[in-house]
Amino acid sequence: MIEVRGLTKEYTIVKKSPGLRGAIKGLFVRDYTVKRAVDDINFSINQGELVGYIGANGAGKSTTIKMLSGILTPSAGEVKVNGIIPYEQRKKNAQRIGAVFGQRTQLFWDIAVRESYSLLKHIYQIPDKQHKDTLDMFTEVLNLGPLLGTPVRQLSLGQKMRCELAAAFLHNPSIVYLDEPTIGLDVAVKTRIRAFIKEMNKLHQTTVLLTTHDMQDIEEICNRIIIIDEGKVLYDGSLASIKERFGQKRVIHFELELEGEFSLPDALQGKADVIAGEEEGKIGLSFSSGDVNAADVISAVLAEYRVRDLTIADPKIETIVHEIYERGV
Amino acid sequence: MRKYWELMKSQIKLDSAYSIWYWSGIVATMLRVFVIYSFWNAVYDHRVEVSNMPLNMMLTYVILAAMLSNYSAGVGYELANQVRDGNVAIELMRPYDLMHKLVALDLGMKITNSIRNTLPILILAFLFLGISLPHTWLMGLLSILSAIIGIFLGAQLDMIIGILAFWVFYIWGLRVLRNAVFLFFSGALLPISMFPEWLQTVSEFLPFQSIVYVPVAIYTGQIIGNDVYTSILLQLAWLVVVYTIIRLLWSFALRKVTIFGG
Repeated sequence: MIEVRGLTKEYTIVKKSPGLRGAIKGLFVRDYTVKRAVDDINFSINQGELVGYIGANGAGKSTTIKMLSGILTPSAGEVKVNGIIPYEQRKKNAQRIGAVFGQRTQLFWDIAVRESYSLLKHIYQIPDKQHKDTLDMFTEVLNLGPLLGTPVRQLSLGQKMRCELAAAFLHNPSIVYLDEPTIGLDVAVKTRIRAFIKEMNKLHQTTVLLTTHDMQDIEEICNRIIIIDEGKVLYDGSLASIKERFGQKRVIHFELELEGEFSLPDALQGKADVIAGEEEGKIGLSFSSGDVNAADVISAVLAEYRVRDLTIADPKIETIVHEIYERGV
Repeated sequence: MRKYWELMKSQIKLDSAYSIWYWSGIVATMLRVFVIYSFWNAVYDHRVEVSNMPLNMMLTYVILAAMLSNYSAGVGYELANQVRDGNVAIELMRPYDLMHKLVALDLGMKITNSIRNTLPILILAFLFLGISLPHTWLMGLLSILSAIIGIFLGAQLDMIIGILAFWVFYIWGLRVLRNAVFLFFSGALLPISMFPEWLQTVSEFLPFQSIVYVPVAIYTGQIIGNDVYTSILLQLAWLVVVYTIIRLLWSFALRKVTIFGG
């Protein structure tokens, strides 16, 4: 379905010397540096897979998606989507894919959402009946009813994102690329969006490639993840196995009223590690959920110290990526 | 074809939504026409002819040329903006040809504009400013045909500037240059026939006079006889040439597309 071999994308960046002199110099002479945003990536994705494509900011996620959707031409390597090369047969590829770019709108800014959808109907040549049925269903699942008559510019972020998502799935594409579809949204909207993506996948076997910084998105939607960093694939496999290796590590931060040194309670010996805080009285305990659960850690500390405050930190996807990068998979 | 048609219709609907924009547009055009009218009346004070042109012929030319030159641009600006803010990404993953889509939207805008802005002002100009009718009805029809080709040609030339945005990220300077060259060589200010001989020759080798001068001069009768048909053929030839250049530039541009803003 999606085949990626040796995919590479390089950007040339103009180097500017600082200051006025640099600016004047820049008018006549320019230095270029080459940056590899995507570096020799390989993977293949089958019909109906829900793949999380994750990595830190600037890791090359969006660039990959843009090459898969035919917007960018790779510097090297090959891409095949549904058997065609997206950047060569742009229009043919476009007909069968959908996309949401979290930070851009693909709806028409000044006209009502409903009109946007009917324009999309013509652009993708969707039969009337199919368009109506799909739209009815989306209206119900994403609760678009009250939004259809409103121009896009008057929608809130959450409302807009629901509309965007519907737009991406409207022509029943076989693949949908979602580039940070939940960015900046509240929990209620996120939940609705996740449910919708899963529903579409179940109904039409839609393949979804999702980038996000929200671990919850990945956990609820994806059955496979690909982690990239600095343009290279670090990990490609099931979510379960990566969680086993890295996701189980949790940290609880305590703020204690300390008289003297902190020492690990006996109950936690061998099960948790102390991370010294920067300030007096602030310590962190890192542990693996396999060895001990959070409640036990907290009660063991409460039994011996006066605790002013505590926070439980879940492993962030960035932390996992970082850890993989430092230690390898 | 259907998609482009629908896109054009959507643009017409969209334009109808802005009434302040509409009224300020029409006031601006009226003001411009009035300034042109007063200026040429002052020039013809104590004179019957300038360069073999009587006042009413000159007024007909400059007012029609001013109206027509309103239609010479548009698409390139839109494209350049989309390249600069990165929204061209969305356009490139749609199953349409972006060049054609931009022209469709542009046409939609121009259709609304011609009905709501140009037509009423032309009627006023006929009634009160002494603009003449075409010198024959056939020439009137041919000048409309020529104007339509000119509008397409203008849009395509503008598109070249828009595509250049892929290489030159701020195209403001290019636009200023284009506007200056255009104003002069399209005949939007003065009939080309008033230029000195050598400038007329230069102009003949440029596409700009096909956009405004040719259609208006056919209307006023400054171009007559077989020259009318050769001029129209030349317009068509320019249209083909510029269109080919655009397709070439566009295919280069697509290979080096960079998307800004993530």
